[in-house]
Amino acid sequence: MHEYSIACEIFEQVIATAEAHEAQEVRHVILKMGRLAHTNPEQLSFCFKAIAEGSIAENAEFIVEMIPPSLECECGYTGTVDETQIGKDGELQSELLEYIAALECPVCGKNARITGGRELIIKSIDIETEVEK
Amino acid sequence: MLMHVIHMGHDVFKANDKIAEKNKTALDKHGVFSVNVMGAIGSGKTTLIEEAVRYLKEKYRTVVIAGDVIAEMDASRFRKLGVQTIPVNTGKECHLDAKLVEKALDEIDLDNTDLLIIENVGNLICPVDFKLGEHLRVVVVSVTEGDDIILKHPMIFKTAELAVINKVDIAHAVDVDAEKMRDDILSLNPDVPVILTSKHDWESLETWISFIELGIGRAQETQRK
Repeated sequence: MHEYSIACEIFEQVIATAEAHEAQEVRHVILKMGRLAHTNPEQLSFCFKAIAEGSIAENAEFIVEMIPPSLECECGYTGTVDETQIGKDGELQSELLEYIAALECPVCGKNARITGGRELIIKSIDIETEVEK
Repeated sequence: MLMHVIHMGHDVFKANDKIAEKNKTALDKHGVFSVNVMGAIGSGKTTLIEEAVRYLKEKYRTVVIAGDVIAEMDASRFRKLGVQTIPVNTGKECHLDAKLVEKALDEIDLDNTDLLIIENVGNLICPVDFKLGEHLRVVVVSVTEGDDIILKHPMIFKTAELAVINKVDIAHAVDVDAEKMRDDILSLNPDVPVILTSKHDWESLETWISFIELGIGRAQETQRK
């Protein structure tokens, strides 16, 4: 489990940004998380709450947007995995496996290079201030 | 009270990737070839590294970074072989990250090093998202982990550059088909070299060692250019 250290990093970044904008409170933390990243959104939110206790972010709510994997094939194809196809293959036993199976190039069928879907990005925060900005 | 949306766009893993790139540049500059050995607890990472070090230290100046949660057992095994060993205790963390490796690099005389082997913390999940600056990402899996272990941990096999199926000599005893494991790895990552090893079969260890030696040769050639 490495959510704790990731939550620490998020907390530090969020607080630094919030303070720089004279925030009284952080309301939301909006994250973009790749489907292929080994991070669990619930655990991350739980760890963040524990770390943020007593700070201006202690009541912040996590909003996690999942990003589908994207690929680049040597045949020239670039694109995002078609998420409507995920879950249709009854034989595969995990969502992660389904996403990985979907990393084949839809044009030539080759195993394509993963160009996205492994990231974890703090997209934005919603803060409250007393001053007009 | 006024509400504001503050855009950040801060990539949490990119901070690690940047340090990893820095590590790699430092290693490249000195022609050091580095291997990141990942795998579960008990997969045989330490033994495979020991065998490689025992053989390669005669030809190449070798250093080992031994990542572990708290103990120094592995580090002392490498020290016994007479190579510089830097134990890195991660505390409660389940993986090494680029920052820990950067700190360890400070203790290494890179000018006088040819090979750096990094033993990651034992598990198949957490090390995946953290690049260290290595040239070769190796995943070691043993037959004792069961032949469904690979599809349960797809990303580490998908992103590995060399896969080692270890302890194949006892596959029959644990009722596991090593060939099925090989097929599973190749289904996830068709281009990855897969080797089957046993510490009792020197020929298989030679294959493992030759992969590392190939990398050392390449690193030294690149540096000379």
